[in-house]
Amino acid sequence: MTLKRIFYALGGLALLFGLWGFYDRFANGHENAAYGSYVVWGLWVAMYLFFVGIAAGAFMLATLDYLFEIPLFKGTGKVALWGAFITLGAGLASIGLDLGHMERIWKVYLQPNLFSVMAQMVWGYTIFGLIILASLWLAIRQPKHMAVKPLMIVGLFLAVFLSGGVGALLGVNAGRTYWHVGLLPAQFPVFSLASGAALMLIIIGLFGPTDDPSASSGQATRRSQQLWVLSLLTVVLALVKVYFLWADFSQSLYGGIPQNVQAVNEVMFGQYWWAFWILQIGFGTVVPILVLVQPKLAKHNGWAGWMGVLVLVGFAVARANIVFPALTVPELEALRTAFTGPHLSFEYFPSLVEWAVTLGIVGGSTILFLLGTDRLPLFGKTSEVTK
Amino acid sequence: MTKTVNATLDRRGFLKATGAALAFLTAASADPEHAVAAVSTATAVARAPIGAGPDSDVLIRMQADLRRALQKPVSQRRWVMVLDLRKCVGCHACTISCVAENKLPPGVVYRPVLEEEIGLYPNVTRRFTPKPCMQCDNPPCVPVCPVNATYKNEDGVVVIDYEQCIGCRYCVTACPYASRTFDFGQTYTKDTPVAEGLIVGQTTADAYERAANFEYGAQWAREENEASPVGNVRKCHFCLHRLKEGMLPACTTTCIGRATYFGDANDPDSVVSDLIASPNIMRLKEELGTEPRVYYLV
Repeated sequence: MTLKRIFYALGGLALLFGLWGFYDRFANGHENAAYGSYVVWGLWVAMYLFFVGIAAGAFMLATLDYLFEIPLFKGTGKVALWGAFITLGAGLASIGLDLGHMERIWKVYLQPNLFSVMAQMVWGYTIFGLIILASLWLAIRQPKHMAVKPLMIVGLFLAVFLSGGVGALLGVNAGRTYWHVGLLPAQFPVFSLASGAALMLIIIGLFGPTDDPSASSGQATRRSQQLWVLSLLTVVLALVKVYFLWADFSQSLYGGIPQNVQAVNEVMFGQYWWAFWILQIGFGTVVPILVLVQPKLAKHNGWAGWMGVLVLVGFAVARANIVFPALTVPELEALRTAFTGPHLSFEYFPSLVEWAVTLGIVGGSTILFLLGTDRLPLFGKTSEVTK
Repeated sequence: MTKTVNATLDRRGFLKATGAALAFLTAASADPEHAVAAVSTATAVARAPIGAGPDSDVLIRMQADLRRALQKPVSQRRWVMVLDLRKCVGCHACTISCVAENKLPPGVVYRPVLEEEIGLYPNVTRRFTPKPCMQCDNPPCVPVCPVNATYKNEDGVVVIDYEQCIGCRYCVTACPYASRTFDFGQTYTKDTPVAEGLIVGQTTADAYERAANFEYGAQWAREENEASPVGNVRKCHFCLHRLKEGMLPACTTTCIGRATYFGDANDPDSVVSDLIASPNIMRLKEELGTEPRVYYLV
């Protein structure tokens, strides 16, 4: 409970800081953002990719309970769906605030260009959100309802295709060689599942049910078994993720297309090399792998939960490292000095307002998520679940 | 002998012209309304095809080309721009005239000029590459727009519907030429000192800055409430609002080196048709298949 209180407090502080960011965003538009006309998408877009990835992954894991009915994960579906709902909301808030005219969002519904991947994403995530909401409602009220499985099937397909679609959103830009790789839409569903697994590690590890009767009998608890499976899943997906990274970067460097090489070099040796090596690879990948392959630590609530946090931090940085570097490479080299002015730079580091808004979204989402775990019957009693 | 006759005629012509000019100026000073009418007549005369022969100034020829093109059905004309890199001196007059014509705010640019140093000492030179929107025939920016706010209009120019654009900037990422910039809502006069009584104090300058431009034939004032074009993506549109009035794009008329050419490539007699048939013509990033309508003479 103490940990939960700490999370409530941190979430509240983040939200408080975020309120200033929201005020500035609404009062001054995009004036105080650090992104510009060259690095045109910044932290908010990266966070959109990050949050919707978690949402899709959490939904995928909810199907273990409600679609595939795997006994070990019985009872985890509701909280996974709740996590998916909250993170999807966070993602959509992040991308909504990034729009120049968010009051015109209705046009994407009523006057869409459905050949645009972005319009497809807006439609897809709206339907996905409704499916999550309906599934959650039924899971809480009528878990045996005949509509639950069809909803989970459609939702699972959407989770996979929307994750891939986010990769395609970037990948269709043929002029950006760093993005324009066929592998990108294939990678994103894997990233989503991995971030969903990390979220479940946090939920079960740090906020999971503590009423397991087997705990007193000295047997391996159900909770620790779930953590062990999720840990193995996280480790395997982390290795796949590293393989994707290797395939992508080695091919780019070997191919030698200047724009591509420049972007890869920017990630690995550029201004923010530390974010890649220390946060994404070190804390986000290597440390969790080393910890989670050890059964004793992987089954430990705290260790597993905090490793989930590290994996998510690594994913947040990874999303940023997909979005920003491609944009920091000029389409034409001489553009760097051709015309100067505010928001005309190929260098980018998020401004205070961008951080504030992102922290506000994270804080608000954390509080909402915790309120849900406190007020909604998301876990159920372990003794009932294991029957 | 012929030379002498010509010289005599020229002197006579000169005296006649001087006399006419003096008469005009006298009349104009006496009656301003008449002066306006006279200027209009003079403009009309200047717009006549007379003097737009092969030896005329290229601007006169392009104006004649433009008038011919405007008489054709829209679907039969094909606007192109040709930039002669051998003539460009890197003065940036085109950039500035574009900023003035479209009243572009800080951070928004339609036509930067790229400056590069080429070669190794002692064989060095500088290259200036003006870069408007390429008005691609296969524009990557168009299909990505989620609300059809950007499209090729009937003139074949890639335009933006400011009232439709949601400001997602997907088109900016899709453009391989960085031809689009986002209007962050900034003004040059914000936070500048108020200088009462001066012609260009903050108040006056701010009023000018917020007054409407005429892009796409409409009036777009910069209002305080973040109304379009603030929050929109913006780009070069070949000065469609000027073309509609029979005027060449601002960058073309202000090019001091006559390095910018504009016209209808479907007109075999136009300057641009002649130029794009040169063997030393090229387009940027042709390998992407975007089919730009901006050509470079190198």
